[in-house]
Formats: sequence, structure tokens, C-alpha cells
Amino acid sequence: MNKLVKALAAVTLGSIVVCGAAACSKDKGNVDKEGNTIVKILVHVDENTPEGQAYKKRVDAFNTSYRDKKIKASISFKARSSGAGGYEDTITQKFKKGTLDDIIAFDSPNCAAYANSKILYDSTDLVDAATKADFYESSLNVYENKLYGLPIQESSAGFYYNKRIFNEVGIDVSGYTVENPWTFEQFNSVCQQLKDAGKKPLSMQLDNIKDETATYLLYPFVYASGGSFNDSTGYTAKGYFDSEASKKGYEFLYNLVQKGYTDSTVKDSDFFAGNAGMLLSSGWTIPDIEIKYQANLGNDWGILPYPKGVTVASAMGSWSFGITNNGVKDKSAAKELLLWMTSPESSKIITDATGMIPARKSVTTNYEAGSPRDVLMKQLASSGKARPATPAYPTFTASFCNVAYAIADKNTKLADLNSKIATAADSVQAEMDRIKNRH
Amino acid sequence: MLTTTIIILAVFVAAFAAFVVWDLVKAKKHRERFRVKSTATAYLMLLPAIVLAFLFILLPILYSLGYAFTDYYSLTPDDINFIGFDNFADAFKEIGNKGMLYHAIINTLIFVVGVVPLQIGLALGLALFVNRKKRGVKIFKVCFFAPVVISLSVTAFLWLEILSPAETGLLNSLLGIFGIKSHDWLRDPSTAMLCIIILSAWQGCGYQMLIFLSGLTNIRSELYEAASLDGAGVWSKFIHVTLPGLRSTLVFVIITVFIGACRVMIQPMIMVGYQEHVVTLSYYMYQQGYSFRWVGYSSSIALLMTIVIGTITLLQRRLLRGK
Repeated sequence: MNKLVKALAAVTLGSIVVCGAAACSKDKGNVDKEGNTIVKILVHVDENTPEGQAYKKRVDAFNTSYRDKKIKASISFKARSSGAGGYEDTITQKFKKGTLDDIIAFDSPNCAAYANSKILYDSTDLVDAATKADFYESSLNVYENKLYGLPIQESSAGFYYNKRIFNEVGIDVSGYTVENPWTFEQFNSVCQQLKDAGKKPLSMQLDNIKDETATYLLYPFVYASGGSFNDSTGYTAKGYFDSEASKKGYEFLYNLVQKGYTDSTVKDSDFFAGNAGMLLSSGWTIPDIEIKYQANLGNDWGILPYPKGVTVASAMGSWSFGITNNGVKDKSAAKELLLWMTSPESSKIITDATGMIPARKSVTTNYEAGSPRDVLMKQLASSGKARPATPAYPTFTASFCNVAYAIADKNTKLADLNSKIATAADSVQAEMDRIKNRH
Repeated sequence: MLTTTIIILAVFVAAFAAFVVWDLVKAKKHRERFRVKSTATAYLMLLPAIVLAFLFILLPILYSLGYAFTDYYSLTPDDINFIGFDNFADAFKEIGNKGMLYHAIINTLIFVVGVVPLQIGLALGLALFVNRKKRGVKIFKVCFFAPVVISLSVTAFLWLEILSPAETGLLNSLLGIFGIKSHDWLRDPSTAMLCIIILSAWQGCGYQMLIFLSGLTNIRSELYEAASLDGAGVWSKFIHVTLPGLRSTLVFVIITVFIGACRVMIQPMIMVGYQEHVVTLSYYMYQQGYSFRWVGYSSSIALLMTIVIGTITLLQRRLLRGK
């Protein structure tokens, strides 16, 4: 009995001591035994993916180049899951404990929220004008006129079209280029011709309005109609999200469904199978078509830019690197790594691995003129418009999806759509107010 | 958070150890050698379960309870302020304005009212079917249980194909044979929750079937024989022998299915998304806590939900308890 009591007491004491020791343990700082300044970088992908390997390769190259300068980079991989924000949890928990990496990868729409929460460091003065100018302007992670990150790569979306179907119907789109984009009217006319020929005109992936993809593909139509989503502070949505100009953008999409050009029954698979004339999708669909659907589509496909309303706007945005507010005051080593990881050379290696578009203008690509990748790259440069910069972005995207969901429903009346837009604007505004008051 | 966890853990371990020591000392005082040994053994055996229950049940509940009264925003984890009942006031305001929370409550109620009787009825029916001593029944048992072992996400994706709004969707093609027009089952508010209820009952009933089956084997065959001698028919035997014999099993099944139904989230999330006509309480909580980052507010909803579910569960136990 005594032994048992002693054993239990020992276990209890042991637990308290171990727990206490764990609580007292602290980060040993950012200089190793050899005197190297350690710069930690956290990325959102698995180490074994091509993208993860590309990051690792660039970090290794950095360590070789900066050996004499006594700066050493250390990379951590935390694969972003589709579920409950594991990657963001890692960032916030490390931030709270004061162990956040010097540089983190983040999805560009999160820039405002991370900047607002002081997770990201204001890097405006760390990056010179020439370097900034080499990035596409809309790609830079700017919030309240301050720079918080540099893009790793970029993306663009467009209308994939089946040349075989277009030829069959007698539609000539050769004149619709990035330099001379088609108009909303011309877009409608092409859809009508496809419909009249008994083809499914278009898949806008309206069957899958559940995540960021829907927002990413559809938000440019609001900008193209002269609308917007919020003011420059990111704290006012009312009067922007639901302005008359913005409503024209939603209405354009609404009419595509009402006229029978697209709806939730037309899937991307319809295009891949050669049954739909067009598909609105991002550049990441190119490898799929080239590899998986080669048998169906061969080389008889191309990409058309976003159509023009009162102006032209196209989807863009990807992941960026940003320096964090992790308690390390001297950011010079972090700056070196940030510039290295977003340099033209890194940009080339990383985009070669991911198939995305380089975010730096100076990266030379060998895309054939008029090829799908060339169209997307030119479109990014000329009309790429970033998603709204607001700390309330998650609510914005959920509310935008609610509007898109109503648009995709053939039975939605225009009055109901307007009511949805008003409700969505109210929700976004309420969230903005909530965050503003919280801070 | 780590420090708080360690403090709570230390308090818990200390309290538990003190209780064990007190119990052992008490046993020793009474000079009950056997009791001392068996008590100590029992506590040691309980220890792993207690540690796990503490870490994964008690600790999250304690945190959630604490956060419910704060303005915890996940991007500013070192800036958590006590705000009293503001989160609860916001929740009631949202209900009053017929916001997403209002729809989440209504949809959860519809789901619970629909799925609990359907799933239990199906489970009982299947259990009675496979309880017969006939050749080939075991195959049915495996078939009925199979959906339980498939992940809910996979099941939801499978049903997405079945309920596809296209004319080529499985259900629409089938109905098309009879001249019925294609329907967008998950977009139509009048059919979306119904589809989710049917899918959930189909997916979950196999598990309750097994529980009923074990309950059925405990009913003595003499009771059925006696009922037959008294001239009871199949229905009469079911009402007067089977159901009373399954009473405690039924109480357990009703409570567990009810609690599970209150937590529905995966099906609407995968099949439709965050839309008014399918959002549920758990989905709303998830969206607020993870996507919108309002951990404090989300915790207050969780606390309200726990209180409501706990109260209803206790009421159910009271009402269904045998005399």
C-alpha cells in the first residue's frame, strides 16, 4: 500500500516537474554555435511535393551563397489541409508563443488580416523601388499603403475554349486577344451561337460554389462592370459591394444563367469530355488538359481572356512570402532570405515546379506567342486585379459565394438576387465593423 | 495557452492524486487489506482513460467555457479580453435578425426531427430483418453495416453524384425513365435537408442495427413462445414483447442518435456549402471559429449548444426511463 501511495505521489510530482520544465523552456535565440544567424521560413506545402522540393532547393542554395555572411536559413513544412485551417493554426500558435518563423508563406487574400493582426512586418523600407517595380503591381501584398509581402508566384484564369466546336459552329474568336479583349456583348453573342447550335456553351464551375475557387473565378466581372467590393481602408463594404456598378457585374453573370448559357448542371468535366464550348478556369487546368484530357481535346483548345465591360479585369493571386513580427528586431537576415526566395531565379525554379505564372516581370519564359500560357501571362500583366484587401476577407468570400449561389440558380428572380446582394453587403459590413471595433 | 493547460493539468493531477491517497488512507484505516489493493489497482487501471478523457473532453470543454466570455480572435491569440455576455447577446441578436444562426437552428431542428425517427426506425427494421435465423442473412448484415465504415466525406461525395442536378445524374436519370423532369435536389430548399436526412440515416443506421441486434438476442425466446400460445400475432408480439425488451437499448440509441444528429456538419459542408438552406449549428460554429476566426463567439455558441443538448438528453432519459 505504502509503495503504491509513494508511486502515485512520485507520478504526480514527476508530472508537475516535467510540465513546469516544459512551461519554462524558451527559444534559444537565432544564432547557432558557429555564429550563424538563423533565419526560419515556414511554407504551406509538403516537403515531398514538387513545390516543396523547389523551396528546399532554393533554401539550400541560399545557405551555400550566404555561408560567408554567416546567415543560415532553416525551412519548415506544414502542409495546408483543406480542413480546419491547420496551417493558419500553426502560424497563430507560434505567433502567440513568440516562436513564429522569420518568414511565412501566406495566401495573398490573408494579407490584410495578418497585417492588421501584426503577424506580418511592415517591409516597405526593406524592399527597394527597383525590386518592387519588377513585380506586377497588383501582386504586391500592400495594405494601407504598406508592403507586407512579396509574391512567390502568380496565377490567372481565362475561358478555355474548344476549337473543334467553335469551328463547327462557325465562331471566329481570333480577334479576341488580351490587347483587344472581347466585350460582354460579344461574349454573349458567342454563347448564343453555341446554344443555337445545340451545344452547351459554357461551364463556369457553378456546380461547385463552396470554396475560394468560385470567388476567384467570378469576382473580376464586378470590377469589369466598374464596381468594387470595399473602400481602400478595407473597412467599408456598404455602398461598394452593393453599388449600382457592382450590381451590373452580378447581373451580367445572372443573365448568363437566365439565358441558358450556363448553370450548375454544366461541369468542368463537360468541357474536358468535349461537350461544352467553354470553361472558365485558372491556369492550373492547363496541365490537366495536356496530360489527362489529351485524348478528348488534343491540341484543339485555347484560352480567351476575360471579357470587357466598362473596363477589363481578370483573376489573379497566389501565395506570398512575408517577414513576421516575431520579436526579432534585426530584420536584415530575414530581408536577405525574402529577396532570395522571391528573386527571379527562385521565381523561375518555383514556377517551373508548380506550373504557375512568375510574379516577376524579369523572369524569361519561353511561352509561344498566343499559346494558353502566353495569354494568361499577358492578361495578368495588363488586367490582373487582386481580390479585395480587407481584414474581413473570409466573410467577404463566404458572402460573395452566397450571391454566386443565388446567381447559379435558374429560379432566382432578379429582386431576390438584389436582396441577396444587400444581405451579403450587410454581412461583410458587420464583420468589418466587428474587426475594427475589436482592434 | 500552454501555461494555462499545464496549470489546469497540474491542478487536475493534484486533485486526482489527493483523492486517490485519501481513498487509500481511508481504506487502510479500516484495515481492509483487500479493499486497499483493489482500490489502488482500480485507480491505476482507470488512469489512462482518465488522462485521455481529461485531455480530449474535459480540457476542451473548460477552454470553450472560458473563451465563451471573451473576444478571442484567432489571429490575435495574445490579446484576449473578458467581455461578459456580449457573445451571447450577439448570438441572440443574430437569431432575432433571422441571420445565419437563425437558419442554422431551424435546419438543425429539421434534421434532428427527421433523422432521429428515420434512422432509428430503419435500424430497428433492419435488426429485425437480419435477426431471423435464415440462410444468407449474414450477407445482409454486412451490406447494411457497410456504409458505417465508409467515411462520411466519401459518402457525401457518392451522394453528390446520385443527386447531381444534371439530367445524367443517377437519381434524375432514374426518374427520367418515368418522365419526371430533372431536379436540383440540393439547391432546392424544400428538398435539400430531406436529401441530407436520408443520406445520414442510410449511412448511420447500420451501427444502431448492430446495437438493436444485441438487444434482440437478450430477449428470451420463452416470452415469444408464451405470447404465441396466448394467440399473439407478429405485430402484437413486437409491441408487447420486443419493444419492452428493447427499452434500455432504445433509450441508449435515441440519446446517441439525437446527440449525433445535433452535431451534423460534414454532409451540408461537402454537399452544398455555407448556404442558408442547409447550414447547421455545428457548421455555423465551425465557420465562425475557424473560417472567420471568432473563437470566442464560436465557443459561446458551443456552450449554448452543450446546455441545450444536455438538457434535452436529461429530459429524454427521464421520460424514457422504465419504472
